[in-house]
Amino acid sequence: MEKHKTQTDKNFLNLPYLKNSDWREALKLKLSDIKSGGVELNCKDWYFNCRDLKEVISIIQRSGFKLLLIESNIPTTIVSASALGIKADLYIEAGENTQTTNINSKLDSLSKPLFHQGILRSGENIEADGDLFLHGDVNPGAKVSAGGNIMVWGRLLGIAHAGKGGEENAKIAALQLRPLQLRIANQVARGPQEEPEAGLAEEAFLDRQQIVIRPVQIKSFYKTN
Amino acid sequence: MASNTRIILICSGKGGVGKTTLTANLGVALAKQGVRTVVLDADFGLRNLDLLLGLENRIVYTAQEVLEETCRLDQALVKHKQEPNLALLPAGNPRMLDWLKPDDMQRIVTMLTKEFSYVLIDCPAGVEDGFKNAVAASKEAIIVTNPEVSAVRDADRVIGLLNTNGIKPVQLVLNRVRPQMIANQEMLSVDDVTDILALPLLGLVLEDQQVIVSTNRGEPLTLSDNNSPASHCYSNIARRLQGEQIPLIDPSKEGSGLRNKFMRLMQTKIF
Repeated sequence: MEKHKTQTDKNFLNLPYLKNSDWREALKLKLSDIKSGGVELNCKDWYFNCRDLKEVISIIQRSGFKLLLIESNIPTTIVSASALGIKADLYIEAGENTQTTNINSKLDSLSKPLFHQGILRSGENIEADGDLFLHGDVNPGAKVSAGGNIMVWGRLLGIAHAGKGGEENAKIAALQLRPLQLRIANQVARGPQEEPEAGLAEEAFLDRQQIVIRPVQIKSFYKTN
Repeated sequence: MASNTRIILICSGKGGVGKTTLTANLGVALAKQGVRTVVLDADFGLRNLDLLLGLENRIVYTAQEVLEETCRLDQALVKHKQEPNLALLPAGNPRMLDWLKPDDMQRIVTMLTKEFSYVLIDCPAGVEDGFKNAVAASKEAIIVTNPEVSAVRDADRVIGLLNTNGIKPVQLVLNRVRPQMIANQEMLSVDDVTDILALPLLGLVLEDQQVIVSTNRGEPLTLSDNNSPASHCYSNIARRLQGEQIPLIDPSKEGSGLRNKFMRLMQTKIF
């Protein structure tokens, strides 16, 4: 069972996992099953760029429905959706066999880090409920935020907000930590002005309501709070 | 020919960095190499590609009439005076902005691909509707930027948008480079820019006062065989687009000739 009808005006649709299947056909098939109202689409692990998503929207609109929300477990899809101004949520599965989203599996997913690979450019942003791990640079003007820690395997030159839900033990670490602005929980700080030492990964954390930067300490990072 | 046509978007995000100048000069340089090239002004609001090419007074029909089917495409295309291989498709009037859709842009470009090997699209500044229309019709892109923080930031934003729209490849042209200012560390260096943008560098264009002269005259620099630095840079970019391997100029070595040394001496305050 892949389709759930919780309210009369909202329809949850899931795209199939199969990589060799055609999502256009699958989407049309699913749309033919529902009667009216808005659509919340779970794109699963499909990689969609803006062009694909525009096609998704036009297919949904041609069938007479409105796209309300995109869910996906692929950050690329989420970033494209936000670029088009569609409300997008990250969706992470609890186990192999679960095909549907439910509240419990979402809570479980908070402890799982979100992984994203690639350069985050000016104007782009990525959000995670739990920890966020980025393989690539965060350019000036880009924004990353996470409910937990943020780790950047690359340069952090944009804005980073760790512990956005108020978690004061959250940390921000990067191979090169030179952000425009750092935020941890409710505290805000400007990034350091001077050039950092080459080859020295740094981390920022909250010490007596102040954001402090120091070289990364492996022990402290993996210590459970 | 249609499938081999290269549809290149020339964009920057920020205004005034040299998109239109690059489009005009690249168009002329490619046409001189014997390839059929058309330049398309996608800046419907503030068009001035026709001015730079000196074709303003020859425009009878525009892209708007072609789309409305009140004229044929070949009637709207303006052939360049000296370079028969180069044509311009002028933008419609600014009121056209309201109804032009990405589909319309694609229709125009598809028509052009039947006759030309290169379609250069001069993109408007900004990332709003005009930009989206232009992107919808393009296959690859050239980003123009200056060695300035604000231009680089805007370019970065545009590259992100191009990536999500599946435009490939995206190459970089660094415009208005002043070797002396880079040497004095008063300007972002080439490395500073490519480091942030992480794109292959298609070429550098040196700052050159001749550009302003040629713009006002409506004769792109590449048209005549003059030896101005910028003209040389534009021609090299066109040849690299065609697949030739030409080494990039090194700004730190630029101006190491005797004449330049003398000029620099004149500029430095030693007395």
